[in-house]
Amino acid sequence: MRLRLIVVGLVTLLATSGLKAADQPRLFEAQLDNGLQIVVKQDQRAPVVVHQMWYRVGANYEPQGLTGVSHMLEHMMFKGTETMEPGAFSRRVSQMGGRENAFTSSNFTAYFQIVGKQHLAEVMQMESDRMANLKLTEAQFQPERDVVIQERLWAVEDRPSSKLFEQFKATAYLSSPERNPVIGWMADIKNYQLADLQDWYDRWYAPNNATLVVVGDVDPHEVVELAKQTYGQYPARDIIQPRLQPEIKQQGMRRIELKDATPVPSIILGFHVPSLVSADSADEVYALSVLASVLDGDSGRLTQEMVREQQIASSIGTFYRANGRLGSQFFFSAQPQAGVDIEQLEAELIKQIERIKTEPMSQQALNRVLAQAEAQYVYNQDSVQAQAMSIGMMVSVGLPADTMETWVDNLRQVTPAQLQAVAKKYLHTDNMTVGILRPSGETNRRPTAKPDFGGRSH
Amino acid sequence: MKKSIYAIAFVLGLTSWNLQASVDIQTWTTSKGTKVLFVEAPELPMIDIELKFDAGSARDNRQPGLASFSANMIGTQTAQLTEQAIADGFNDLGAQFGGDVNRDAASFSLRSLTRADLLNPALDLFEQVINQAAFSETIFQRDRQRLIQRLQQAEEQPARVAQRAFWQGLYGDHPYAHPVSGTVESVESLNIKDLEAFKQRYYVAQNAQIAMVGAISRQQAEKLAEQLTAAMPKGEKPAALAQPKPLTQAQNEPKTEVIDFQSAQTQYFTGQIAVERGHPDYYALFLGNHLLGGSGFASLLVEEVREKRGLVYSVYSYFAPMRVAGPWIAGLSTANNQAMQADEVVKQTLQGFMKDFDEQKLADIKSNLIGGWPLRMDSNRKILGYISMIGFYDLPLDYLDAFPRHIEQLSKAEVLAAWQRHINPDQLFTLMVGLPE
Repeated sequence: MRLRLIVVGLVTLLATSGLKAADQPRLFEAQLDNGLQIVVKQDQRAPVVVHQMWYRVGANYEPQGLTGVSHMLEHMMFKGTETMEPGAFSRRVSQMGGRENAFTSSNFTAYFQIVGKQHLAEVMQMESDRMANLKLTEAQFQPERDVVIQERLWAVEDRPSSKLFEQFKATAYLSSPERNPVIGWMADIKNYQLADLQDWYDRWYAPNNATLVVVGDVDPHEVVELAKQTYGQYPARDIIQPRLQPEIKQQGMRRIELKDATPVPSIILGFHVPSLVSADSADEVYALSVLASVLDGDSGRLTQEMVREQQIASSIGTFYRANGRLGSQFFFSAQPQAGVDIEQLEAELIKQIERIKTEPMSQQALNRVLAQAEAQYVYNQDSVQAQAMSIGMMVSVGLPADTMETWVDNLRQVTPAQLQAVAKKYLHTDNMTVGILRPSGETNRRPTAKPDFGGRSH
Repeated sequence: MKKSIYAIAFVLGLTSWNLQASVDIQTWTTSKGTKVLFVEAPELPMIDIELKFDAGSARDNRQPGLASFSANMIGTQTAQLTEQAIADGFNDLGAQFGGDVNRDAASFSLRSLTRADLLNPALDLFEQVINQAAFSETIFQRDRQRLIQRLQQAEEQPARVAQRAFWQGLYGDHPYAHPVSGTVESVESLNIKDLEAFKQRYYVAQNAQIAMVGAISRQQAEKLAEQLTAAMPKGEKPAALAQPKPLTQAQNEPKTEVIDFQSAQTQYFTGQIAVERGHPDYYALFLGNHLLGGSGFASLLVEEVREKRGLVYSVYSYFAPMRVAGPWIAGLSTANNQAMQADEVVKQTLQGFMKDFDEQKLADIKSNLIGGWPLRMDSNRKILGYISMIGFYDLPLDYLDAFPRHIEQLSKAEVLAAWQRHINPDQLFTLMVGLPE
């Protein structure tokens, strides 16, 4: 055995259902009177539990001028409550031997701790405390804003590909807040007021706007009991959703270029497509998801033809995220091989996209995607954190907690004809945004620098 | 408030007991002489296999990038199969094939479900891809172009430039000095014969190790290890690597190097050559570093540089013990006009820490390490990483169990003494890439 403290429960489970145990969804769902949604998944392989609190707020909830405020607030959530000193939560989790952090996306803000299971009650108490009792002060806010400024410099300003993606999104989405960068525009970061953070906290941090996800060696009923005693003490509040700001209909290609000191150009193509949240028919989402997988990766037609055979691209990929709250984009990204110009790469990529519509994918290519998806479902269970993530990301945009449990079965229904149908419907140039990163011809290395790591010494 | 927590815990029977995680590592040698490490993990119907060779970039021998490129050619062609057929082969089975090269080792991995109709063909393919690898000139030329393009790109990326220049400055003539994937010039001068010779010299049974974690029996594991090595040439172990010469012997003052670079932030590293894997002082150094800069928000560097002064998003330090002495490194990135201040704070924090630190902080950080030990082994993938390391660096099989015990017993005086033996704050090598002010 891997871990010697394995519990009786697991033995029983394996005895009754053999290895099938791994395939059985073991989700337990509940809701407290104050509206808090709870999802628990048992995983008894190790005496460990991951505890995550997901709030339904993120960059695509933010108004212009306040971009990144969800992320800034996420930072401030570590700065203490009425009864806990700044940093005390983190210190306590550290003493437990736990790991903790938080992350913000366009669709949600989430906080997590991974701890020995005997510490679950205490982290729930502390997490519930900062759901309701956060203490926001100027003294804590000012240096933390500086930290976020450094984070933006680090994550975006010195990385041309990140900059391109940020500007690409702001071009693909003109009227929808989906255009907002998660970390926020630099000017917005510099202009936040403490009151903005207080307002944002008061507006969104409430039990009825949150989901508790717990995965690990726990009893679901005990988790609900603990949740009642911790999160349960805070009342529901009125949550006023942002006004709808739908994306205007795209009627023709949009393009953006970014010039930077890079020796190699790159290109992103994106098409407006539905997500599981925005789709009229979920079938289209499954078809788009299969299509992205069929095209992507080392077996995909794009790598096979454009990288290996024609040697036009040095790398190429396809990406589609099915769970965007405000719809989604179907992305292609590529870099040309040396000596190939970016226009040629773009033209070839568009030819490949046209081919999807006229030449059906083989059933074998589809089967390959299914084999990978089925295996991935099992591999995903090697990590409690990954399991909790795949639940939280769905629930936080209003999708069922078991979305991933039925995912492969849904993919299995997709036919080659459906792939062609979604390609025809969505992957056309009037629905396309193009982002190009073009070498400016400059170099970041100043003339004094020597190529052999010389530099000046002092 | 705390009282109520314990009351809840008591009611639910969640009283804390000692979480004594333990990994049962089995080990043996195949008939070809390959060391095997295996952990049976029956809970999930999957297996992770890693085949590792002492064939990292330290074996490049004046041809930087040779080891890395050789490893990248594995999986591109075999006597029977094209690149596409190999990729399709793994993907059809839901299997994942991967490769990785660092300074000490080249590793190839397979992740598969354990259902016989998936695992058997996946293993056959894995075995074939390695033992019957054929290096094609066309693929070599194409991938060399791609690699050169990536290296050119890296020269405009401040973080990459800093990473490369730091190891270069720290290790001088030692093979750890050069970047794992080489330089534009060195890769341009490689040819396919060099790569083939490298494969024949190093990808041999006597120089290999197999690590496995998954839902198979010992008997299956033995068969599997035999199968992977049956067609592999026996070969021999390479000579031991030279010991690196600490910078402190070359000169007796701190060295700061600046590479002028047009970037928003200065990329900053400071450090020294420290210890190899298995060094008896490693426990004390590791524990001390966990407090200094290895445990995120619990560490002194984050407290001083980020929390108190808001100078950075991230600051950290770590030891990278390797086959021979690896470095201790502290790193951060900050706006150019704060770089000198950040440098000062890092060095003051290190000096203060090496003089003395709070007993309570030591107790807390011990509690973090010991209490968090099971979290380091809560997945097959993590266990695979550990047993592979234990085997490759000839650490004792009870290393994982013994580690927290060693940590528990260390006193502040022992931690400080170990740091003073290995780290001299007056002789750090510091590198900044940017326009530091």
